[in-house]
Amino acid sequence: MSESGFAPLQPVIAMTFTSQAARLPEPPNPIADDGDQSHFCGTCAFSSVCVAAGYEKPELAELQCLVEHVGPFDPGVHVFRTGDPFRALFAVRSGTVKTRLFDKEGREHVLGFYLPGEVIGLNAIYPERFPCDAVALDTADFCRFSFPAMSALAARVPAVQKHLFRLLSKELGSASLLAGDHSADERVAAFLMDLSARYAARGFPANRFHLSMSRGDIANYLRLASETVSRVLSRFRTQRLIRIEGRELDLLDPPGLLRLGQVLLPG
Amino acid sequence: MHNFSRPPEFDPALIARYDVAGPRYTSYPTVPQFQGQYGEAQLREAIRSSNEEPIPRQLSLYVHVPFCMSPCFYCGCNRVITHDMTKADRYLERLYREIELLAPLFDRDRPVQQLHFGGGTPNFLDLPRMRELMRSLARHFSFIGEAEREYGIEIDPRFADAAYVRGLAELGFNRMSVGIQDFDPLVQQAVNRIQSVEQTREVVEAAREASFGSVSVDLIYGLPKQSLEGFSSTLDEVVKLAPDRVAVYGYAHLPQMFKPQRQIDAAQLPAAATRLALFGLALERLCAAGYVYIGMDHFARVDDELAVAQRAGTLQRNFQGYSTHGGCDILGLGASAIGRIGDSYSQNARDLIGYYAALDAGRLPVVRGLALDEDDLIRRDLIGELMCHGVVDKRAFGERHRLLFDTYFARERQRLAPLVADDLVQDDARQLQVTSRGRLLMRIIAMCFDAYLDDQAQTSRFSRVI
Repeated sequence: MSESGFAPLQPVIAMTFTSQAARLPEPPNPIADDGDQSHFCGTCAFSSVCVAAGYEKPELAELQCLVEHVGPFDPGVHVFRTGDPFRALFAVRSGTVKTRLFDKEGREHVLGFYLPGEVIGLNAIYPERFPCDAVALDTADFCRFSFPAMSALAARVPAVQKHLFRLLSKELGSASLLAGDHSADERVAAFLMDLSARYAARGFPANRFHLSMSRGDIANYLRLASETVSRVLSRFRTQRLIRIEGRELDLLDPPGLLRLGQVLLPG
Repeated sequence: MHNFSRPPEFDPALIARYDVAGPRYTSYPTVPQFQGQYGEAQLREAIRSSNEEPIPRQLSLYVHVPFCMSPCFYCGCNRVITHDMTKADRYLERLYREIELLAPLFDRDRPVQQLHFGGGTPNFLDLPRMRELMRSLARHFSFIGEAEREYGIEIDPRFADAAYVRGLAELGFNRMSVGIQDFDPLVQQAVNRIQSVEQTREVVEAAREASFGSVSVDLIYGLPKQSLEGFSSTLDEVVKLAPDRVAVYGYAHLPQMFKPQRQIDAAQLPAAATRLALFGLALERLCAAGYVYIGMDHFARVDDELAVAQRAGTLQRNFQGYSTHGGCDILGLGASAIGRIGDSYSQNARDLIGYYAALDAGRLPVVRGLALDEDDLIRRDLIGELMCHGVVDKRAFGERHRLLFDTYFARERQRLAPLVADDLVQDDARQLQVTSRGRLLMRIIAMCFDAYLDDQAQTSRFSRVI
């Protein structure tokens, strides 16, 4: 760790599992497991930016200046708060993050969940202040990309700029599970399939994952009552669409869930 | 998956060789491991987190009624001897306060699936008091639909009659556990519990007529003056009563820990060989009468829900012994009551003074507890599987907990080696399996996996394994 408390990016450290010999390693995290240069953060949403910046080239040195590893953040700890000056984007390396806002009445509105490999803070670029809170839901680590440094790089390297724009438009176009008048079953199914697709896109198992978010957060996000979320999940369990034990979820019938949720999902 | 299609093998010489004290593992870690630093804040956090699971567990309430009319000398429970009903009222006042503090912490869509009144003597409370208590519980918690509920109560037949049992049925109770211990008059005198077969039959039959889903009776072996002849007659009577379940507990004589037991003359206790023979007799007679041995102290008719759950692989361990499904969070209400919320245990103040003081100050009366770590959870799962189903598939278990079974439990498997040599348990590459010889020595097998038992001094706190 550097004195600032942030560990600088170290692209060439192989992950080792030396903890308890008898324990199986954690499922490989394709994001955090950025061991070598040839497989450098390959599955992170930000990787295209990093690639454009030219890793394995002299620019890598420059990239290292603008990226630092931060964390771990404990569950419940803010990564940033509404109104904080915007200085950087964060790519989730491990853990899960929720973004949220409080309205005038003090009611929380959950805006979204971010999984390993996804980027938070893109919506802060214009106002130059974060327009929402980001809160770690479980122990979370990040790559922090200094935005001034990145802007400077983007001005010189058109490919970096292009990828930044691509990330931005992707964020704008991401599926809204809230639009329209849809049933609770459709929303929950779409929510699960959306998570599944996003995990799969980042190299994680598509049909087996840990639900880090509380049912209250899921309900808030889907604009349903907590009890409704649980009732729908229980029904899915009875229908053998899912298996659920505590927070561990298995999708037993992804096509069935997709049929239920497809009205809300892109393409 | 379960492995208990054959009855256990009773080999007195073998059992005598393993005759050491050991825990019952109604919880793992066991109660002596609970920590005083665990208090109200930790319990509130455990409850909050349990509400936030995708499908929060249903609730199981344990309500402790600590009063008894008359002292049974064998008792190791937490109880107060009195005839004074105003004492009960003072207690109930605090119990209501506890209910009012605790219930709102649980989300309303978590219905009470199981309810158990234990003691002491729960039927110390007359029907009007019982009605008031059930009303309070129903007002503050959501009770599940009648078809799904398992609401049980321990009954001392000396202080209950058929009308009382019918009254309980009207209040929603549908499971009953009846204390007998031994019908032998000599034994009854020696333990200060005079109870006739007729008194007992009255409540058992009343429960059956009121459509209780399961009626259980408790026997104890190893009591002073107990003989094979006397216990044999008791077993005859028990078989005639035809309860759905029978629990046969071994008496643990620990007078330094349990004051009432100082009234028992140790010289009148049966010799070790007789003690074993008493259990052997119960095993033989109950199995011959159509009961299956579930495990530890428990027998059930083949069609009883416990036996069905065991065959279905859904049996679980809880504080009363075994439970048909353990998917509930357990709340302990009342003095000394123990709860199990998510991955934590907590226990209320054992004494009335401490229990009252906390509630009078508006605090939850929890005084100790434990937040289980990963290793605790792994071992709890393992010991539970062994005690309920007698077999553990090493690969499936390893996948569930992300471990290599034989490596993780390398030391435990060494401890287990003499038990394997004695054919109590089979330990091969695929699975760990309790044999029919090992079933009666389950505690010894489980103890091999107890991470807290390295300290030998610890074992003196527990009763003998059989």
